[in-house]
Amino acid sequence: MSDAILELLGISKFFAMTAALSDVSIALRPGEIHGIVGENGAGKSTLIKIMTGVHQPTSGQIRIDDVPVQLKGTRDAQERGIAAIYQEPMVFPDLDVAENIFISHNKLGEVVRWREMYAEADRLIARLGVSLEVDRAASGLTLAGQQTVEIARALALDVKVLIMDEPTASLSAHEVDQLLRIARALKAEGVAVVYISHRLEEVVEIADRVTVLRDGQHVSTRDIGDVTTERMIAEMVGRDAGEFFAREKSHATDKVALSIEGLTVDGAFADVTFDVHAGEVVCLAGLVGARRTDVALSIFGVVPAESGTIAINGKAVAITNPKQAMELGIAYVSEDRRKLGLAMPMSIVANTTLATLEQFLSRSGLVNRRRERDVAESFRRRLNIRTPNVNTSVGTLSGGNQQKVMLSKWLNAEPSIMIFDEPTRGIDVGAKAEVHEIIHELAASGVAVLVISSDLPEVLSLADRIIVMREGRQMGIYDGAEATQENVMQLATGQELTAEPA
Amino acid sequence: MSVDASDLLAKSAPGRSSWTAALISWEGLLLAVLIAIIAVNANLSDAYLTVTNQINLFQLSIEKIIVALIMTLIIINGEIDLSVASMMGLAACAFGWLFQAGFPTVAAIPVVLLVGAAGGYLNAFFITRMGLPSLVVTLATLIGFRGLARVLVEDRGITDFPAWFDNLGQQGLVGPLPLAMIIFVVLLAFFIVVLHFSGFGRQVFVIGNNKDVAAYSGVDVARVKAILFTASGLISALAGLLYAARVGAVRGDVALGFELDIITIVLLGGISIFGGRGSLYGALLSILIVLNLRNGMALVNVTGHIQTGVVGILLIVSVLAPNMRESLGAAWSNWRGRRGSR
Amino acid sequence: MAAAVLDRFSPQALRVLALFVVLVLIVLFFGSQIDNYYSARLFNRVSTSVAIMAILATGQALVVLTRNIDLSVGSIVGFTAFAVGDVLSTYPGLHPLLAVALAVAIGAGFGAFNGVLVAYARIPAIIVTLGTLALFRSLLVEYSDAKSIITANLPEWILQLPRANIVSFGDLDIRITFFAAVIVVITVHLALTWLRTGRKFYAVGSNPEAAVMAGINSTRIVFLAFVLCGAFAGLAGFFFLARFGNITVVAGLGFELKSVAAVVVGGINIFGGSGTVLGALLGAILVDLIDTSLVRWPLVSEFWREAVLGFLILGAVAIDAVLMRRLLALRHARMKDRRDKSVAQDGATA
Repeated sequence: MSDAILELLGISKFFAMTAALSDVSIALRPGEIHGIVGENGAGKSTLIKIMTGVHQPTSGQIRIDDVPVQLKGTRDAQERGIAAIYQEPMVFPDLDVAENIFISHNKLGEVVRWREMYAEADRLIARLGVSLEVDRAASGLTLAGQQTVEIARALALDVKVLIMDEPTASLSAHEVDQLLRIARALKAEGVAVVYISHRLEEVVEIADRVTVLRDGQHVSTRDIGDVTTERMIAEMVGRDAGEFFAREKSHATDKVALSIEGLTVDGAFADVTFDVHAGEVVCLAGLVGARRTDVALSIFGVVPAESGTIAINGKAVAITNPKQAMELGIAYVSEDRRKLGLAMPMSIVANTTLATLEQFLSRSGLVNRRRERDVAESFRRRLNIRTPNVNTSVGTLSGGNQQKVMLSKWLNAEPSIMIFDEPTRGIDVGAKAEVHEIIHELAASGVAVLVISSDLPEVLSLADRIIVMREGRQMGIYDGAEATQENVMQLATGQELTAEPA
Repeated sequence: MSVDASDLLAKSAPGRSSWTAALISWEGLLLAVLIAIIAVNANLSDAYLTVTNQINLFQLSIEKIIVALIMTLIIINGEIDLSVASMMGLAACAFGWLFQAGFPTVAAIPVVLLVGAAGGYLNAFFITRMGLPSLVVTLATLIGFRGLARVLVEDRGITDFPAWFDNLGQQGLVGPLPLAMIIFVVLLAFFIVVLHFSGFGRQVFVIGNNKDVAAYSGVDVARVKAILFTASGLISALAGLLYAARVGAVRGDVALGFELDIITIVLLGGISIFGGRGSLYGALLSILIVLNLRNGMALVNVTGHIQTGVVGILLIVSVLAPNMRESLGAAWSNWRGRRGSR
Repeated sequence: MAAAVLDRFSPQALRVLALFVVLVLIVLFFGSQIDNYYSARLFNRVSTSVAIMAILATGQALVVLTRNIDLSVGSIVGFTAFAVGDVLSTYPGLHPLLAVALAVAIGAGFGAFNGVLVAYARIPAIIVTLGTLALFRSLLVEYSDAKSIITANLPEWILQLPRANIVSFGDLDIRITFFAAVIVVITVHLALTWLRTGRKFYAVGSNPEAAVMAGINSTRIVFLAFVLCGAFAGLAGFFFLARFGNITVVAGLGFELKSVAAVVVGGINIFGGSGTVLGALLGAILVDLIDTSLVRWPLVSEFWREAVLGFLILGAVAIDAVLMRRLLALRHARMKDRRDKSVAQDGATA
């Protein structure tokens, strides 16, 4: 059995006492696109890190061209022809495109031949069927451009195995097409492409074979002809996909809590218009890159809108900073826990009260720690946050529990309008259900809820109404009960421009 | 519920101990070092444990340790203020200049403090409004404030301040305790309350950990920074005045180079240069260690420059020691890995 | 036209260009203020005194490019000047090149010490070099044993060195020290531009995480930066000895911050990744030129030197930040234009 270029045999990886991977075997053939799917925590990223030499397997064997090898680091892996590109590309903003491609290319000798390098870079970029100016600093590139640079970097190293980790998560539809084209070009050149994505349709479209992982274990590897999206989902979650679509009844009232008209931020989005009623759950659907977060940030006062109006409870307001938005009863639960949501090294208590510190201050400005603790403790019980105690630093919690701490922080502000940005990204199924439960409770208590989500089944199960955006434009509004994956997707990908508003 | 909790406790206990325990043991370590130094010093000389020597030990560096208090807050906030020593110099010289110009001494003091606050706000303006790194801004004002100090007094030395002013700096105010020491103790208590018990202090920590998280939670980041830098200028000016009183004279080079000593003290106290971590308790222990170490070395006739060198080594070792095992381990496996691949 | 210039040059090249324009403007300004300003003496004076700082700033630039800082250079200058002076006092017959080599070696040794702690032990550079700033200085104090190096004990050649010319154009002298400094700057500039290792200095400072992912040995690069910075500080120490002759334990005090100032004014990003050593040279010259000119400006006392310098640096970095932000915004807008057009064309052809 030697048609494999890279073969993993019975790979296991333990971190401390927990197994991230157990006994996983995968063989990659030259000239194939091999999809790997699985839920968060299924072991995909650990697998990549083992293939690129970042981690060493606890047990098992890696074989390249049938020869057992040990990958000692990213550099070693690269020299053996294995490279990876990530969702957030790793480029050097201060270097130009050509240099970014060849910076780690050691065979070229010590002296940089700039002219040759530019020519070679042009050639590589052209091979990918893209156009980029190779003498421009990478700081000016779009995410897609940066990814192209990374792929070209791998190509320059005569890559035999290229791993793409969620490459399309942040791309526009136009850019996704381009990336898929590049992946096919690589395949035609005999490269084994590992394609990891949450977007199963994409995987079905492009992959030759698909491997499903669950809980660190290998579930199946099949030819693409033998799989369907439904079957993949079933294998990923270990049960039927249908369970996700349970809908609750709507709590929407007649009272308009948030009303947005013609909202525009140049270079981000234009002319966004919608209402959110008290007790209603409105979802902003779309692909990543649809600029939904920018709309939320504008409502929350981080990037104030340049034109258009925002009205709260029928009163027009101008929101210029988050503090002001909070005073108006708006809360924004960011999609990026690490960068924008939580102070990771600080305790659960400190994070819980972060947005509402004033509630806990005495007249002299001192913090009432006992009350703080009590509140954090009550949220711990109410949201079932799994932690030994509330003085634990949030950085040590799991993703789902971190998400709950972030929710506590905003729930404690008792907002009348709550914006959730990808509230369930990167958390496990159980925690996901709990977050949905919280959203339902909020709506039931009369809060106007706006949810940004790229997870279509989630959107369909949560939303009273669905607003679809694409590349900064509002494409249409659907009634939640009437919408289907297909028609939302059509709008989100811009396949049909004439949509009737609800 | 109780079953549930104990189960979870077992699971995540190691994660929890990692940083709280490290902090506890860090301050414990500083305390042990301090006790060792005191024990050695007491053995070295009978003069060490006398009240005069103990007060003297503080007095010699009193201006630095006062400024170290506000510097602790600034570094925890994730910034740095290199201009503090120049502001001390500027304040002292401004005082001398006003005095020479016939300005009443009592009125000169608030004017000088105002200059300090204004200088601090200038730093804050460029940092918060222009978004420049504090390292660069305060490096420029380090040169600028020092320059203004020299403009004011040129190459003169100004002395003969009123006796009451000099006495404030040199004699005991409450019993044997001079004014500067009382100010230090009061400020220490004040800043402990502010940093560790007040809402403002919480914001200082959060910003130091992650500015964006703070801003997205409604914290006015620019305001907190502006307050800190203005306070830093104000306290530096106060320290400059105390210096003028203690020495009874000012020159253009008052407090020259003190900024590095002050920052060293703060970092030795376990305050992270990247912000977000540390405490005034650590800073206080570090102050006591540095002062007692220097005093002990002085008792056995080690010169000032060598003392500074020893403190420098201590600073490096203090940061090196905790991650020594880890770093050496990584370097070792790295080296072995590379050797193996050849 | 302005837009075309903005488009053509890299931000780094623009910075150097702008710095050069500022330099000319300052010369013109003082020329209108001071009689006999445009004289060979001015050039000779500035070129002599700038040699030390230019070399120091070059070393500092290498470290800053990698997103680090070296605060110990002043102490290295002091120690090297003293040590080489001591050796030359004892063995006046030592070959000049050996003396230079000794200075460079001592500096590189100190630099390696910093480098090991920063690159291998992973301690933040500001902490390491704050510590070694004090440590190296106290080593000097210990070594000096309360003595000084005095001119009388030094060989004649080293005392003549600062006035020795490579070539003269009338009264305009190109001094050996200045020539050496320019050679150093140009060599380093070429190395940073044309050598793969040089480019990695930028890569490591530009995105340390990506550098690791791209298989660049950042540890080695950072270590190298500190060794080179130390070596250049050693060389600067040698020139310091030649220029002043009398060396005490305070030699080079405060040079660390001056070198950082020259680097920052020279347009090198304090957070690494961008800037050129040509900029650092211009920064050093600018700082020195203002210093020298203010002394001769009748309108203000010479005591204004530092104050003007400090606030000038502040102004320079503030304006630079504002302009760069504008420039980026402008470029973004232009790029977006272009992209929109290309998308439109895509649509048209499809």
